[in-house]
Amino acid sequence: MASRKKSLLKVIILGDSSVGKTSLMNQYVNKRFSNQYKATIGADFCTKEVVVNDRVVTMQIWDTAGQERFQSLGVAFYRGADCCVLVYDVTAPNSFKNLDSWRDEFLIQASPRDPEHFPFVVLGNKVDLDNRQVSTRRAQQWCQSKNDIPYYETSAKEGINVEMAFQIIAKNALELEAEAEVINDFPDQITLGPQSNRPSNPDNCQC
Amino acid sequence: MVQTNADGSDFKERLIASVKKEVKQLMEEAVTKKYVHEESSSVTSLCGAVEACLSQGLRRRALGLFKTSSTTALLHKIAKSCPEAEHISKLVQEIEASDPSKRSSSSSDSFQRPPMLKKSSSNSMSAAASTSSASASISVSASNSSMSLAGMKYLWIRLALYEKRLTKIIEYLVSNASSFYDRDSLVADPDYGSILSSLLVGPCALEFTRAKTADHYWTDPHADELVQRHRISSCRRSSSTCSRPAIINFKRSLNTSSDEASSGSFKSIASASVAKDYVESLHQNAKATLLYGKNNVQVLPKDVLEPMPGYLSLHQHIQTLTIKWTPNQLMNGYAEEEAEDIDKDAFWAYALNINVDEIVYVHCHQSRGEDSGGTVILVGQDGVQRPPIHFPEGGHMQQFLSCLETGLLPHGQLDPPLWSQRGIGKMFLWPRSMRRRILPSVMESVDETPIDYVFRIVSKSRHEEFAATHSILDFVRSTPRRAQLSSCSTTGSSDCSNKSLSIDQFPLESPLLLQQQTQHQQQQALLQAQSTSIEMVCSTMRRQIISRAFYGWLAYCRHLSTVRTHLSGLVHGRITPEMKADEEGLTKERWQLLNVNGVLENATEFYRLVYFGGVQPELRQEVWPYLLGHYAFGSTREERQKQDETCKHYYETTMSEWLAVDAIVQQREKEKTARAVAKLSSGSNSGNERTVRAADLDAGGELENEVFEDISDISDPGDLEFDEQQQQQQQEGVSVSGMHLSVKPIPRAMKTSTDSGHVDEGENFNELDEDDLQGEEKEKEKQAQPKPEPEQEQERDETEEEEEQKLEDQLNPEPSCSTSTASSYETVGPSAANQTRSVLSPEYLSADDLQLPEDEVAVKPQPPPQPQPQAAAVIITKASVDITNWERSPKAGGQGQMSPVEEQAINLDALQQPKSTCASPASSNGGVYSSELLEQFGLNLHRIEKDVQRCDRNYWYFANENLDKLRNVISTYVWEHLDVGYMQGMCDLVAPLLVIFDDESLSYSCFCKLMERMIENFPSGGAMDMHFANMRSLIQILDSEMYDLMDSNGDYTHFYFCYRWFLLDFKRELVYDDVFATWEVIWAAKHIASGHFVLFLALALLETYRDIILSNSMDFTDVIKFFNEMAERHNAQAVLQLARSLVLQLQMIIENK
Repeated sequence: MASRKKSLLKVIILGDSSVGKTSLMNQYVNKRFSNQYKATIGADFCTKEVVVNDRVVTMQIWDTAGQERFQSLGVAFYRGADCCVLVYDVTAPNSFKNLDSWRDEFLIQASPRDPEHFPFVVLGNKVDLDNRQVSTRRAQQWCQSKNDIPYYETSAKEGINVEMAFQIIAKNALELEAEAEVINDFPDQITLGPQSNRPSNPDNCQC
Repeated sequence: MVQTNADGSDFKERLIASVKKEVKQLMEEAVTKKYVHEESSSVTSLCGAVEACLSQGLRRRALGLFKTSSTTALLHKIAKSCPEAEHISKLVQEIEASDPSKRSSSSSDSFQRPPMLKKSSSNSMSAAASTSSASASISVSASNSSMSLAGMKYLWIRLALYEKRLTKIIEYLVSNASSFYDRDSLVADPDYGSILSSLLVGPCALEFTRAKTADHYWTDPHADELVQRHRISSCRRSSSTCSRPAIINFKRSLNTSSDEASSGSFKSIASASVAKDYVESLHQNAKATLLYGKNNVQVLPKDVLEPMPGYLSLHQHIQTLTIKWTPNQLMNGYAEEEAEDIDKDAFWAYALNINVDEIVYVHCHQSRGEDSGGTVILVGQDGVQRPPIHFPEGGHMQQFLSCLETGLLPHGQLDPPLWSQRGIGKMFLWPRSMRRRILPSVMESVDETPIDYVFRIVSKSRHEEFAATHSILDFVRSTPRRAQLSSCSTTGSSDCSNKSLSIDQFPLESPLLLQQQTQHQQQQALLQAQSTSIEMVCSTMRRQIISRAFYGWLAYCRHLSTVRTHLSGLVHGRITPEMKADEEGLTKERWQLLNVNGVLENATEFYRLVYFGGVQPELRQEVWPYLLGHYAFGSTREERQKQDETCKHYYETTMSEWLAVDAIVQQREKEKTARAVAKLSSGSNSGNERTVRAADLDAGGELENEVFEDISDISDPGDLEFDEQQQQQQQEGVSVSGMHLSVKPIPRAMKTSTDSGHVDEGENFNELDEDDLQGEEKEKEKQAQPKPEPEQEQERDETEEEEEQKLEDQLNPEPSCSTSTASSYETVGPSAANQTRSVLSPEYLSADDLQLPEDEVAVKPQPPPQPQPQAAAVIITKASVDITNWERSPKAGGQGQMSPVEEQAINLDALQQPKSTCASPASSNGGVYSSELLEQFGLNLHRIEKDVQRCDRNYWYFANENLDKLRNVISTYVWEHLDVGYMQGMCDLVAPLLVIFDDESLSYSCFCKLMERMIENFPSGGAMDMHFANMRSLIQILDSEMYDLMDSNGDYTHFYFCYRWFLLDFKRELVYDDVFATWEVIWAAKHIASGHFVLFLALALLETYRDIILSNSMDFTDVIKFFNEMAERHNAQAVLQLARSLVLQLQMIIENK
């Protein structure tokens, strides 16, 4: 039964308000950028079909409200997440600073089975802008300190790295699942030959 | 197999052809959709076709004693010699063992054997069975996915296909055909056998998925499609009342008085649900394949004189085949207008939905000579004729029949088979190339007479269906059918064997016994079984009726007690009479009548009109302040004017306070930005020593992600100085902006300029130095300046201009950004000027004059006093206030603590000086703000800025500088409620007010009123959970069916899909005009019907789409998605009307208790 795996991946996007969570999601799912997005209230999600390791899986990407006040809402949405995407705005140092609390809060609320190895991905968004304020090095260092979280610099507006980042997200989410399965799995099934000795009694046949 | 050679080869060819067809379809699906779903109907049909091929000519004896034609047994049989088959066989057993109740039909034999038989089989067999079940219970993780698999047909073929081993297995079978198959079977055929295995190479290479995707148009349709489908099915009702059935239904159970009114519509509910099923089923979906579809097929329903055209379709479900016919009038449903509403009801009655299982005979008629189409009449088991179906000319009847026959395969067929029918050449215009060859020798007999044909539908192996269904009722339903079949089968020993085998599946009889029974005995047994089962059914029904009655009564009691305990508080006890038919809400005339001499007295009437009819758009500006409680009823025009002035004054004063802080914050921000940019550029240029150190810090336990702290911590002495300067400058900024209102826009412009251009470190230093100097200048200037009193107005304006000039000058050192500065300044400029002017407007002056002695002190406490968040956060704007405040807090010490400098603990003395000057009692004006306050408000401003920019920017009103007004109103509110702070969503609440009033201070006052209720919905309050709980109870009371669905999907309990509705009073759900209309009804409802009208609105919104939600049995995520997609597309008036009627309903229930 090795091939029967869960094929819905739940991905949560977190990060300060206006770092581009909605834009990232829509750029990835719909290949569109709009400057008309409003602040997200509550939560929304999109689904997208992706192929990872030759498997087709559906990603359910949850876009959440950015203000930390609304985190209390999270528990309903974070439940059962397979991967968490932390987004910050490279032009807004505070949004980077807050990654810590987003991560911690997520781990508290979603309470994944193995918090140490829960897959996160960090995205530094808006790299298309000139007034960058958080250096790549700095972000990478932070990610390294947190158990080597993969880090990507994206631009939802220009579509830079978005596709690739989400591909990694899906991959990491699947890996988590695969690990979980290894833990759960039992030794190989015993080989059976149930029909081998079935008696054949042609005389009793009716026709 | 009693078939002629010709028949045999023909049959084989047909079998192969059907496999070909299915393979082609599957491959097409794979190509067009890039993937194939495991449960795709094309997979099912392919498996069916393969099963048919494999079971043809299968030697039963080869499989053992009591084997049916099951190919699963064959699989198990070859498992020991063929590794692929072994693998699949193992999988099949695992799945079956993990879910013994839902055994796959085609493999039912392996486990449904009676105990006796099991004993007779070898020990290893039973051991195997037990071990396999053990292993299945171990692999719990696998059981979830296999559960659904177990219920599927053709399980092993499916699995083999998913596992890509089907080809290998079939190859094995072909090469070993002699031991399992008859000589003339398909598999043993030298050509067909290899064709079959090679055909399946393609499908075996495919990747199958179980995922639900957007491309799965039948499982995950977009909200639009759901609504459209629903519209077709409910078109006979006007869309506004499409959720009525549940409500009427509910009323009916409670108010006997309304019985006769609702009984009529109750009937229509039944038909409506049938109708809905119809429309759903006309689409190809996961459960059914569309085999045939033809429009303009005429049917002559009962009681109708002329045949009606309609859409005929043939659907293949897993177990059954269905023929549907829908009148054209219904097909293009939603395009038509309501004029035909009455007729539509009738049309639904005409629609046909025929289960082919119930059909025994198919009569075909066609008039001789010309091709005028043909008529098909279906006759059921009961002998009742279905309405004749008349096909248009062009061979459509023939197509239909052949599709029907294909659909019946592999387990049923037309008798006599279509292709061996006498005179077929005449009747059916088959393509010659294909059909000629097949025609049997009977052909040559006279073929003139028969134009009418009768086909009997024969089902070969009904036991499959039987094994799949367990309920007694189903059992009874299918029994007469089987009896009839076996009794009428008189020819062919193979037929006979089939039937007797089908009987051996009876649970009541031992198959061993049955084996020896004669046909007569079988029939007797059948009858017996039938009568016992009918008795059982009767008693079950009796029990069910009694228990239902009891549970109904119990539910009713619970229901009423729930209402009493929970919901009576949601609505007013007094029911306000609805509007008369001729009333249209609050029109101009009405308003003039009510508003006598500018005094509005009759509040009840006013609210009633608004609640039931809304407000005429032009009146809103005038009326809304009343609705929001800003103006008091009975107030005179003068009083209101005065109130407005006071509000305006208060608003402007407050604004001046926060604008000062804003200026400081902006400046800080600017510096931060400059530093960060500088840091970034220097960091990238000079060696990476610093960053390495930063990393060490990070790693060394201090994981706090303080970007700037880190930078300043590790920066060199030069940086420290830099810090000091900034600190100093901030201090100055505080004092400078304490009194100048127009300072605000300038730093904003500066910020923009810094943002847009890259500033390198050196330049930045220069600039800051200059800043510093100028700041000191300003400081002096300010100290020289006395309290702002009317006579100093001009002087102030001048200073402001000077300052602006200076600030502009400051920007000049950055040549790269001077142009952008100029432009951004231009846009901000006018509004800044306006602000200055409005602040110093005549009213303001007159108010000042009136309360001259202690104007600030007098004005401040006037509105509901808002406690300042922190004791330390003392705002000093005027000397007079200084004194009052200082009495409370120890002056000297307090200031020392307040200083933001102390936190840094660097060079305190150097900074002490400017601070002390600005705070010294000698200075007449000045403000000192604690750093927390600055920080806090700065953060809020930052957030406000970000959200304001994104708020409704596509709405015309906010296309221009009106966004600044929005920003001002929110900032003022936040400044006054710093303990609450800005929360996302406030923008959305202010925006409609601002659009209506187009006046900042009035919008502000009304927003404050609005927030009195709304603030509780935000995360800091507890209203949201209460709303959710109330929603739950309301749904339980008013729509039990919906409640059941939600209950079954446990995660519904949170009702998070309503979150945005309640938080923003449906502002995001509706377009602006509808928001206005909805809001005023909500406000009026508080006084007329319910203080929780939003709940009923939410319920109405839910009820509007209840049928869609229910029929698609949406879960939590589906509902969220649906409503997010439906945002701004609701019919607000209909929803409002429904909400009002829901309120009324609850009121009635409570009254009747």
